[in-house]
Amino acid sequence: MRLNKQNCCSLALLILVLAAVKVSGQKYPDRPITIVAPFPPGGVADLTARPVAAALEKVLKNPVVVVNKTGAAGAVGMSFVANSKPDGYNLLMALSSISIIPEADKLFDRKPAYTMDQLIPIALISADPTIFVVNASRPWKTVKEFVDDAKKRPGEISYSSSGVYGTLHMAMEMLIHGASIQLKHVPYSGAGPALTALLGGHVDTLASGPAVVIPHIKAGKIRPLAGWGAKRVASLPDVATFKELGYDIEFYIWAGLFAPRGTPSSVMKTIREAVKQAVNSTEFKTAMEKIETPIAYLDAPEFQTFWDKDAKMLADAIKRIGKIEIPEAK
Amino acid sequence: MTETLHNLYLGFSVALAPSVLLYAFVGCIVGTLVGVLPGIGPLAGISLLLPASFGLDATSAIVLLAGIYYGAMYGGSTTSILMRIPGEAASVMTCIDGYEMTRKGRAGPALAIAAIGSYIAGTVSVVGLMLLAPPLASFALRFGPPEYFALLLLGLLMLAYMSGGSMLKSLAMAALGLLLGMIGIDPMTGFFRFSYGLVELGDGIGVVPVAVGLFGLSEILLTAGQPTAPEVKKPKLKDLLPSKQEWRDSLWPIGRGTVLGFLIGIIPGSAHIISSFVSYAVERRFAKDPERFGHGAIEGVAGPESANNSATSGAFVPMLALGVPSGPIPAVMIAAMMVHGISPGPLLITQQPELFWGFIASMYVGNVVLLILNLPLVGIFVNVLRVPYPLLYPAILLFCVLGVYAVNGSAVDVGIMAATGALGYLLRKFDFETAPVVLGLILAPMIEMSLRQSLAMSSGSYAIFVNRPIASVMLLVAVVLLLFSLLPFLVKSIDWRQKLGIETAGGEKL
Repeated sequence: MRLNKQNCCSLALLILVLAAVKVSGQKYPDRPITIVAPFPPGGVADLTARPVAAALEKVLKNPVVVVNKTGAAGAVGMSFVANSKPDGYNLLMALSSISIIPEADKLFDRKPAYTMDQLIPIALISADPTIFVVNASRPWKTVKEFVDDAKKRPGEISYSSSGVYGTLHMAMEMLIHGASIQLKHVPYSGAGPALTALLGGHVDTLASGPAVVIPHIKAGKIRPLAGWGAKRVASLPDVATFKELGYDIEFYIWAGLFAPRGTPSSVMKTIREAVKQAVNSTEFKTAMEKIETPIAYLDAPEFQTFWDKDAKMLADAIKRIGKIEIPEAK
Repeated sequence: MTETLHNLYLGFSVALAPSVLLYAFVGCIVGTLVGVLPGIGPLAGISLLLPASFGLDATSAIVLLAGIYYGAMYGGSTTSILMRIPGEAASVMTCIDGYEMTRKGRAGPALAIAAIGSYIAGTVSVVGLMLLAPPLASFALRFGPPEYFALLLLGLLMLAYMSGGSMLKSLAMAALGLLLGMIGIDPMTGFFRFSYGLVELGDGIGVVPVAVGLFGLSEILLTAGQPTAPEVKKPKLKDLLPSKQEWRDSLWPIGRGTVLGFLIGIIPGSAHIISSFVSYAVERRFAKDPERFGHGAIEGVAGPESANNSATSGAFVPMLALGVPSGPIPAVMIAAMMVHGISPGPLLITQQPELFWGFIASMYVGNVVLLILNLPLVGIFVNVLRVPYPLLYPAILLFCVLGVYAVNGSAVDVGIMAATGALGYLLRKFDFETAPVVLGLILAPMIEMSLRQSLAMSSGSYAIFVNRPIASVMLLVAVVLLLFSLLPFLVKSIDWRQKLGIETAGGEKL
């Protein structure tokens, strides 16, 4: 090859490109990291992702941006990260529903938006047990009274939820199964409207997160009967857990950080270390306190075990619900 | 009363603090911009700025976000009036008569009346919010699915009074809108309907891309199809302000729009959009000469624009008094409060008086700011009409695409806008009105949800609509309305619609 001017240039460019590739391969991160929140701003995923991003930014000394990619109950954002390049620059802040969507797709024979093995866990950030609340004007004071009444009139006591196959529907399905009762389901389009329906007395009961129900419990509009956690919720010390009452059910609305499968282990190690430091910082703790969400940090291996168990429980619940049959109108 | 005045004094001392005042001002400016840009509405604007508000104190954050919300309602009318492109979905009705006024050289008065109507509605409805929030909020809670269904059915029947041309054609268009509204996840069973494998269609077809396509794009296409560029009367300086007659004509529509908007705003759902449709229908019904509607009647601008502004205050009633969201925008604002460690709930007003009264006072201030901001802008905005079409329309097209894409970051939405633009072009060539399509699309998912929720509550018995007093009264009114609009078909001589004649079907009137 004659070394004319043009070739020289090409060669120099090639070396430059190779060098750049090498540098970027050596050091993670060298450009902004994106955390995708698959729900709109103001939702649990978004409100958890933002303090995580802010704390991570300090630890990694690199910009971390939260992007809301919303649609189809989170499926759009989750499949976006599941199918993105596994280089550690696209992370996902997902909620429990990450395990529900693929199961629902299976139930309806749909082409799945993503599969769970396309994603690997980084860390669990928070896990809030749902609380079982009833409208204050209803007679039940304990779970026992409620279950006895429900057995007397199957399918007559109603509950609202954030939507069919949504997390709040799942929590109630576990209670229905655990207590062998039948309830009437009235789905709404989100946890907010579901709570409004309970406050207005249009439904009798609801399962929802502590942060959402506590102000209304304090105002005396609704009454808590039990919680789904393994332990009692700190801010509701008088409310027993279903486990204490002899029902073997446990359910959490959790938020965890994920990466696409195939992310290099060195990169994973950096992210895991950074997240561990980030969740222990004071500003992160203050931020989570303000949104009344206790931190429930688990590193990747423990989170994997937790996720496997949770996903299996949800899959079973979906199979039990099956396809929903609408009764004939009269 | 003295207590209210005392509280209001507290509120103004918060709202007039330089930092809070600054954020009210910033919110109003951002809101106006968000409203002017086609596609991007208040929800997108607030969502984009929510993270930025985390660094502020709670009161400034809420004041900023609220400013964006009602600022967008002011700004939304601008492009509707000047270019027939709804700046946000609540301005769809303004497109019809507002744009006709522009074609007659009355763009200035239309913009001025929209701003003044918004100001009056905004200010009066804050008084309502201040004095009536707790009792109204508990009344709003009594609206369950059956009541909501009855109300929506009532809204659908308003269609009969909305159209200018053939009623058959507008009913056909409403049916098309209702059908489009069926796309997406079945709310009761989780089935995907008509999604053709597109995950994005799971949430249904968005109102924004359809409104921009049907109104904006179709207008651009129609103009391009004309052999010579249409002549728009360039505004003269003395034509910027409304005439005496226009003032007189606008007064009652503004008043009615204010009351309607506030009441509809309290009820959960996309209230600010529906309120503008209802207001337009009501004004048309009340008008002595309904045939002027669709040809530049100023009432058709004054009513809906007042209603959508007043609805924003109404939407804050359940949020502030009970801590429950009445729609997606208050939901984002509740999240903003939670980030600052304030739990929104029934005790908010007593526990956080600075926040509540500061917020109320800032809305009074914000409305004045918006009026001062918008009236001089009228003179600037009308000059857009001096830009020659070959330059103006491609630029508008670009803004439409950007705006619609920005809402969800979804290319599917841009595709929907393009398709509905082509559809709108065809429909208007054949003299079909496009507003009923948008109304149908908005109402269909809500009607379906509330009907099926009601039936789930009653285990499938339709008796639930008769047994609940609020629902049954509204359904009775709906039936009476329906009979009224059917009467002309039975007794030809009292057909007020006949006066309009089908001669209005002159082409690009709508």
